[in-house]
Amino acid sequence: MIEQLGNGLLLGIIIAVASVALSLLYGVTRIVNFAHGEIIALGAIATLFLSSPVDSRVIFLDRFSPLGNNFYISVVISVILCGLLGGILEFFLFRPLRKAEVGNIAVLVVTIGLSLFLRHIYLLFNAKPQNFPLELQRRETYLFFDMTPRNFRVLILGIFVMVLIGLFLNYTRIGKAMRAVRDSNDLASVSGINSDNIILFTWISSSMLAGLAGVFQATINDVRYNMGFLILLLIFAGTVLGGIGTSFGAMVGGFIIGIVVNVSVGLPFMEGHTEAKNAVALAIMILILLFRPQGIFGEKERVS
Amino acid sequence: MSNKYLEVTNLKKSFGGLKAVDVQSLNLNRNELTSIIGPNGAGKTTFFDLISGFQDSDEGKVFLNKKNITKSQPYSIARLGMIRTFQLTKVFDRMTVLENMMFSASSINNDSFIKSLIRLPSQKTTEKNIKEKSFEIMKDLNIDHMANSYARELSGGQKKLLELGRSIVNDPSILLLDEPLAGVNPKLAEEILQIILNLSEKGISILMVEHNIEAVMKISQRVIVLAEGMVIADDIPENVRTDEKVIEAYLGSENE
Amino acid sequence: MKFTFKSSFTILLTISSIFLVFLLNEEGEIPILLNLLTFAGIYGLAAIGLNVHFGLTGLLNFGHAAFMGLGAYVTVLLIPHAAGREGVVVTTGLPFFLALLIGIISAALFGLLLGLPAIRLRGDYLAIVTIAAAEIFRLLVRDLESVTGGVYGIINFSSSLQQYRLGFIDNFASSNELNPSQIWIAFLSWTSIILVLLLLRRLTNSPWGRALRAVREDEDAVRALGKNAVWLKLQSFMLGAGIAGLSGVLLAFNYGTIQVSTFVPILTFYVWAIMILGGVGSLTGPIFGSIIFWVIISETTGIAQLIFENANGQQIAGVRFVLVGLLIMLLMIFRPSGLMGKKEELLLDVK
Repeated sequence: MIEQLGNGLLLGIIIAVASVALSLLYGVTRIVNFAHGEIIALGAIATLFLSSPVDSRVIFLDRFSPLGNNFYISVVISVILCGLLGGILEFFLFRPLRKAEVGNIAVLVVTIGLSLFLRHIYLLFNAKPQNFPLELQRRETYLFFDMTPRNFRVLILGIFVMVLIGLFLNYTRIGKAMRAVRDSNDLASVSGINSDNIILFTWISSSMLAGLAGVFQATINDVRYNMGFLILLLIFAGTVLGGIGTSFGAMVGGFIIGIVVNVSVGLPFMEGHTEAKNAVALAIMILILLFRPQGIFGEKERVS
Repeated sequence: MSNKYLEVTNLKKSFGGLKAVDVQSLNLNRNELTSIIGPNGAGKTTFFDLISGFQDSDEGKVFLNKKNITKSQPYSIARLGMIRTFQLTKVFDRMTVLENMMFSASSINNDSFIKSLIRLPSQKTTEKNIKEKSFEIMKDLNIDHMANSYARELSGGQKKLLELGRSIVNDPSILLLDEPLAGVNPKLAEEILQIILNLSEKGISILMVEHNIEAVMKISQRVIVLAEGMVIADDIPENVRTDEKVIEAYLGSENE
Repeated sequence: MKFTFKSSFTILLTISSIFLVFLLNEEGEIPILLNLLTFAGIYGLAAIGLNVHFGLTGLLNFGHAAFMGLGAYVTVLLIPHAAGREGVVVTTGLPFFLALLIGIISAALFGLLLGLPAIRLRGDYLAIVTIAAAEIFRLLVRDLESVTGGVYGIINFSSSLQQYRLGFIDNFASSNELNPSQIWIAFLSWTSIILVLLLLRRLTNSPWGRALRAVREDEDAVRALGKNAVWLKLQSFMLGAGIAGLSGVLLAFNYGTIQVSTFVPILTFYVWAIMILGGVGSLTGPIFGSIIFWVIISETTGIAQLIFENANGQQIAGVRFVLVGLLIMLLMIFRPSGLMGKKEELLLDVK
């Protein structure tokens, strides 16, 4: 059980960061972004490409040689690239759609198409699971949990980032503006907040966070073209559980889902069915939506 | 036998600490044309939502013709004879005017999947009948010439008429009208008022929320004033017009 | 179907795309065409079911693959088959058409089961719940290996249906060097489409259909007029699910095996793409959408090989899905009414 808890914390930090990113975006734009997973994956894939040794053929299209840069610099650059992708998506795709007053359902279907599109572009570039060019480490004990030092640092860094975000949203001007737009677009524009800029900013920061989550995931696991898609439903579950529209809720919900997925393996009825561990988390999400749609920390929003 | 048709007792609803509705007692008699007025935000639409089942109350009871409908679903309440309209007209845009009417006139039984699949001759007859009935009402309301147009092509006033027509095609016993004159030009407002009066004379009990005080005073037999969720007056129009508390409530809200 | 500009254009486009198959292939066009038409029929039927959900009632169902899968698994499990790695053989079973009926009803009941709690949810949340439910279905099926064969699937069931194959098909097949089993499936798929469309045409123009369209327009008004909007939505959900179940059975018999890997989200996305392309809300739209879609898909092999020399299976699949994703996006942005949909009838807002 303790071992599962350790794994659960690691999965939890990935999902927590990704859930906050999704929740921020949804809160401000009201878009359920099904392509969120692909932005996550980009963080990992870009880092892989930037940092893998030159000529090491990590990418399927053998014409491209990785760049062999310092790993940490690669991470920073790829997170920025993800932000750039988010900005491009908002500026060239979602803003025109918003201006044309295209309805939410249509935008949702567009994100599904986008998700399909991006994910399989990645497939064309990177078909096999790969790992970051980092040395293997042995697990050590931290408190009760066994994990590699690197994973432990990921966990700590993740928590640190979450705290930063919390502070940012509550104490900076932009953060408060984001919350204002989230709570009411009309009121925000009346008090002089340019919602277009806030939305662009949200897309960029949400995408950067997503990219970071991807780096975390690839560090703890590996890099795959569909790594984002694999955890997308879990991210939805985390966001829903914690409370749609609250970042704190998304963090907590994400952690809980990560832990539940891993711990559920130890439950009696799961014996021999460990492959279905995701199912427990998904079932929880469905139950929450039916019986307590505002999640743990959310306010009652119209879910039906 | 008591004449009370709609009995509301101790109805309360709050939103996050703010009291929206707090009605100790409100009873409607049969065949009355009653209006509810009050400053903005007084809780009138919430009150409608509560008695028609569209929102759950925190406390209290609602009885329709001696039947407890406090926790009933909106569609059950409608089937018991209480039909409501909405502030923002809710016509079915992408269906024709005739279809709008026939949908309302069609019973749940007639709508059945099996019946529609098998096309029993009885359904054909029923459809014919409700078509005739729909046309009758459309003619009365002067929208029959638009029968085959999509409802979204109607003007604002015609949409109000359609919504009214839909509500009455099934011979309701109580009509809850939520701002039937909102956004309507004076001429059409006169027409609608006359239609409402006619309905009242035919025996339908009417409870109307309106902001148009003149209209309210003209046709109502009874006026209820709601302010901050509570009933502050409940009397014949003349008395309400001169009631101090009412004047204060309206003036007070003007000063905010 | 009235011969308007829109329908004439669509028919022309469909016929042209079939010609494209002949143009782009130097040999073996007839088998390719047969294969294409078979898949087009099966997926078209699935899209018709989805259209009942989204086009007629405005429900965002992204778990369609699970309805198809359930219909398929229930039907196959009720007839003689061999499941799992060791090929656990079941030699007795129900007559095919009875098993099929039970399979379709099971799919509809699954729709009821899922719908009862979920149907009240707003659009985007219903989308998430249906995807989650489909994933749970997939995981459960994959895990119940003793029954469903798990990842190894089920085989040896085709004969239950193929034994009813009509005589003329065998003659036609041998004189044209085609696979008679597949012709039979194609025949059944397109016959089903015609029957289901006749059924739907009758239903959409009936009081029931009128009630569903009203629900699509404004649920609150429907309630205020005394009708149970939730029950109406459930009925439509069950109908679409049943149709999907039928298409799932046909899909399984076309492959001759059932694999849980068939009933995955990508299947749902294909059906969505076909429905949008054909025209949301149009009865015949899915037919044309499906044919044109499958021409595109079957010719992606050529496109893939243009881009990558000696493209392997994964690359071909990748190119295929990239195109499907692109298609969905472009359609929703520039032509959400698809080929046969009516612009005035577009439902694109969350209710």
